[in-house]
Amino acid sequence: MGDLFVLAEHRQGELREITFEMLSKAPEVAKELGGDVVTVLLGSGVDAFAEKLAAYSDKVLYVDDPLFADYNSDKYQKVLAELLKTHKPDVFMVGHTTQGVDMAPALAVELKLPMVTDVMDIHFSDGKLSPVRQYYSGKVNADFGFKGDPPYLLTIREASFEIVEGSKQGAIEKVESPLKEDLDYRRFIEYIEAEVGDVDITQSEILVAVGRGIREDKNMTLIEDLAKAIGADICGSRAATDAGWLPHDRQVGTSGRVVKPKLYIAIGISGAFQHLAGMKGAKTIVAINKDPDAPIFTEADYAIIDDLFKVVPKLTEKITELKG
Amino acid sequence: MTEELQSFIEKYDLLGCIQCGRCTGGCPVTVRTDLNVRRFVYDTVDEEALEELAKMPEVWDCTACNTCAVRCPKGLKPVEVLIGLRNIMVESGVVQPTVRDALESVFREGNPWDKSRATRNDWMKDLEVKMAEPGEPVENLIFVCCTIAYDPKLQVVAQNLVKLLNKAGVDYGFMDTSETCCSSEVHNLGEEGLFEMMVEDNTELLNEYAAKRLVAISPHCYSVFKNQYPDLKAEVLHYTHLVGEILEDKKLELTRELPEKIVFHDPCFLGKQNNVYDEPRYVLGQIPGAELLEFDRSRERSLCCEGGGGKMWVETESKKERLSETRVKDAKELGATVLAVACPFCVLTLDDSLKAKGFEEEMRVAEILELLGEALD
Amino acid sequence: MKTFVCIKRVPDTSEAEVKVDATGKEVDSSRFSFDINDADNYAVEEAILIKEAKEGTVQVICLGPKDADVMIRMALAKGGDSAIRVEDPRIFAKDPLQVAKVLAATIKQEGDFDLVLTGCMSADNWNMAVGVALAEELGVPHAAMVNKVEVLDGKVKVNRELEGGLSEVLEVSLPAVLTIQTGINEPRYAPIRGIRAAQKKELKVLGLDDLGVAEDEVSEANSLIELMQMYVPELESKAEIIEGEPEEKAEIMAQKLVKGGLL
Ligand SMILES: Cc1cc2nc3c(=O)[nH]c(=O)nc-3n(C[C@H](O)[C@H](O)[C@H](O)COP(=O)(O)OP(=O)(O)OC[C@H]3O[C@@H](n4cnc5c(N)ncnc54)[C@H](O)[C@@H]3O)c2cc1C
Ligand SMILES: Cc1cc2nc3c(=O)[nH]c(=O)nc-3n(C[C@H](O)[C@H](O)[C@H](O)COP(=O)(O)OP(=O)(O)OC[C@H]3O[C@@H](n4cnc5c(N)ncnc54)[C@H](O)[C@@H]3O)c2cc1C
Ligand code: SF4
Ligand code: SF4
Repeated sequence: MGDLFVLAEHRQGELREITFEMLSKAPEVAKELGGDVVTVLLGSGVDAFAEKLAAYSDKVLYVDDPLFADYNSDKYQKVLAELLKTHKPDVFMVGHTTQGVDMAPALAVELKLPMVTDVMDIHFSDGKLSPVRQYYSGKVNADFGFKGDPPYLLTIREASFEIVEGSKQGAIEKVESPLKEDLDYRRFIEYIEAEVGDVDITQSEILVAVGRGIREDKNMTLIEDLAKAIGADICGSRAATDAGWLPHDRQVGTSGRVVKPKLYIAIGISGAFQHLAGMKGAKTIVAINKDPDAPIFTEADYAIIDDLFKVVPKLTEKITELKG
Repeated sequence: MTEELQSFIEKYDLLGCIQCGRCTGGCPVTVRTDLNVRRFVYDTVDEEALEELAKMPEVWDCTACNTCAVRCPKGLKPVEVLIGLRNIMVESGVVQPTVRDALESVFREGNPWDKSRATRNDWMKDLEVKMAEPGEPVENLIFVCCTIAYDPKLQVVAQNLVKLLNKAGVDYGFMDTSETCCSSEVHNLGEEGLFEMMVEDNTELLNEYAAKRLVAISPHCYSVFKNQYPDLKAEVLHYTHLVGEILEDKKLELTRELPEKIVFHDPCFLGKQNNVYDEPRYVLGQIPGAELLEFDRSRERSLCCEGGGGKMWVETESKKERLSETRVKDAKELGATVLAVACPFCVLTLDDSLKAKGFEEEMRVAEILELLGEALD
Repeated sequence: MKTFVCIKRVPDTSEAEVKVDATGKEVDSSRFSFDINDADNYAVEEAILIKEAKEGTVQVICLGPKDADVMIRMALAKGGDSAIRVEDPRIFAKDPLQVAKVLAATIKQEGDFDLVLTGCMSADNWNMAVGVALAEELGVPHAAMVNKVEVLDGKVKVNRELEGGLSEVLEVSLPAVLTIQTGINEPRYAPIRGIRAAQKKELKVLGLDDLGVAEDEVSEANSLIELMQMYVPELESKAEIIEGEPEEKAEIMAQKLVKGGLL
């Protein structure tokens, strides 16, 4: 019998989606544990957040203190360590995000917590918690179990759980921050936006890649529209840069750039060995090609075997619709 | 490093140059880039200038086709001066990421394609391949080449050779996955230290096989084994030598008609570097029904396809037509239906240009062994 | 500046077929190629850039098998001064927190330091845990996912790469641990002559006893978590073919991209 704690993540005045993803999975986990869903929120002037989170929680524990105006993993660690010691939940879920991974491992060391990171699913076998994570470029899954005592610390991969609207009316409890003074060894200075300007495709998170299949310069607008709709940068095969449809620094491959985006959409690219070598590190690959035997499909996660001129405009349209 | 720099003049016989300009005059890439190899031969006499010269991007435009060396009346090898400059960059650690990755891959896995050594012979799957064993006598030890072994588009070349050798019943053997990059391109990319190491290791490895002849499928491997591995025990051949012999001895007959108009493109590393011009033509001539054409620029005047000299990893940024495009245009004008090649890099460059020009309907690029495969069935 | 950099040898599985072995808890790695972990390569370069700018030393630490020596020598050829490789069959090197303990003991034994750089994530396991845990073990501050470092007096100013193109600028006092993000620099090439020359640099191989770490602190029995089983998920090995008329395909794909969190 123990509670499930979930750490609310927010930045620049907004609760981040990972928070609601974790909270959408939380009731199922809490039920197995036989406890409550307790959301932990640290911030400054965050009453409204607490209200919102109450709809997803049995209880919201929150610290409202100017010291928490911006995220600082050391300050978080100090407060969370105290809360965990006092409340002794069974499980503590933290986002496997740039905030979470900057804090969770240190917390685990400090309190000797059993920790599994980058969790993409949670099962129970014989009533025991068993998180699932991946190894080797996501090609194998592994089920974990716990040997130590709770609380168990899980960092949860983004987009693992679908968000469902909350319908609870949890109690909201404000707690005094155990941290009385600012820390001098780690100071937040500011947020900066990535410089716009020259695109460096080796750093892009999402890439739309175009090949000879696009045929003519004037058809590039199809690609540009799609890229715009999904916030992608554009790159291509050597055939595309050679033809002058793209500058040379957008060429992916053995004599171009090696890219590792989260998402790579290859359009009208056959998937020559010299091209594949430059993009095999992409996490998810979508290929659109009319030739079912094109080698690109051997690397793809999603295959659309069709005429790009029919599919791409529709894809842009549908994505724009869905994103609202 | 200084010791290295001082020997530049001697190493490349720079003072022997009479600045006649025949090297640059014959250099094929001058139509696309600013490379002026004669100037480099002149400028590198100044040792102080070497480091700055090495940073010039044109140094990487050279395809190591060897035309300059063939044409030099004083017997200089201007191409080696450029490779020496590349070496300066390599030793400083500042090279393009693609070059870095290719070289590291050769060092770690024995191939420049970042592929696992263990998968080197995957192309053999479902084939009956005779394997050579160290110490056991074999007439022909076949050396496959990293690019042919790993690029799915080229694996058919090695596969067809196996089928052909099996049919002809000649004594041959392939190596297990210890076959390691010949390092021709390692040399051309200027990594002298790695090249020396690979020559040493490969010589030891290859000599362990009691092979009479070492038969390379790629002209790049052939050329480097022949000219830069002084201690190899086996005689070095290109596969067109061996296949020519087989056909001549009537160990094999090509039966299927191929009513094609075939024009042969001389690979630089077979032709200009090693004077092998006749064997490929002889082999092609044995294909029933085929008509052989000749390029205007053929044999020692053959146009480089820009596939060698490390160009697989370094792009020449030029808006001008690729030489391989010029080449496929020439082939089309001749009325050829097949542009035949005998080198893996040529397949890649020419096939890509064929598609860029949109000639797929009327013509195709084929490695000689692809054609032989068709003529055998 | 006295800097340590932690490197790991990892398989490249981006193209390889991955099969679970007979134990059901590990994969068959006989057909993989191995390399230095990508992020660690950037960490090595950053350490050397810092050394070149501020003087000092760079020591390379690796917990791993003898095969990792190649990667260590490459790091030394690039400008590392000396290296320690820790190898001991009693260490349960599969728990990131145990790995952090061993690395911390190794660093402590070498005395004071200014900076420890690790990669932000290992390419095979994706834990993103070792560096931050190491900082806690060493009792020093840290910053994770760093894509810019500026060394100031007694502190570093760093940029942490956050989601969606945003960065967070921080000042962290030294000594500190930074976990380095790929793309922070362009790693140099280690020429073979350099690697050969680096054979002269010291590479110590240490075990638990040399480090004064008790076996039960870092053994499998002591790990608080347990890998129960590994398996290849269905559909992972092949592309999912989207069926239908062009418009339907577009619809299905759009759903997957938008709802599936791929965007
Ligand atoms: C020295 C050298 C270095 C090289 N380096 C690189 C490199 O760094 N990067 C690189 O990418 N390549 C490189 N290449 C070239 C490489 O070998 C291939 O030729 C090239 O990648 C092919 O580009 P592609 O896939 O766009 O074109 P193609 O191979 O021509 O493929 C076009 C594809 O589009 C599809 N298609 C056509 N029309 C449609 C339609 N209406 N709808 C849907 N699909 C359609 C076709 O089915 C085909 O599969 C290099 C080659 C050489 C020789
Ligand atoms: C088959 C298998 C079974 C496993 N079983 C368990 C288990 O039962 N219990 C368990 O807790 N975990 C287990 N794990 C996973 C384990 O969590 C990690 O493999 C390992 O602890 C290291 O984490 P990481 O490499 O992901 O580190 P990350 O935190 O992703 O690495 C970050 C950085 O830390 C440094 N680093 C990491 N490892 C080393 C090293 N060896 N030497 C030097 N520096 C290093 C590098 O700089 C690296 O960039 C298992 C993993 C596998 C593959
Ligand atoms: S080898 Fe060929 S490309 Fe290089 S300089 Fe000589 S002629 Fe020009
Ligand atoms: S051809 Fe020979 S002699 Fe003439 S300029 Fe070139 S290097 Fe000098």
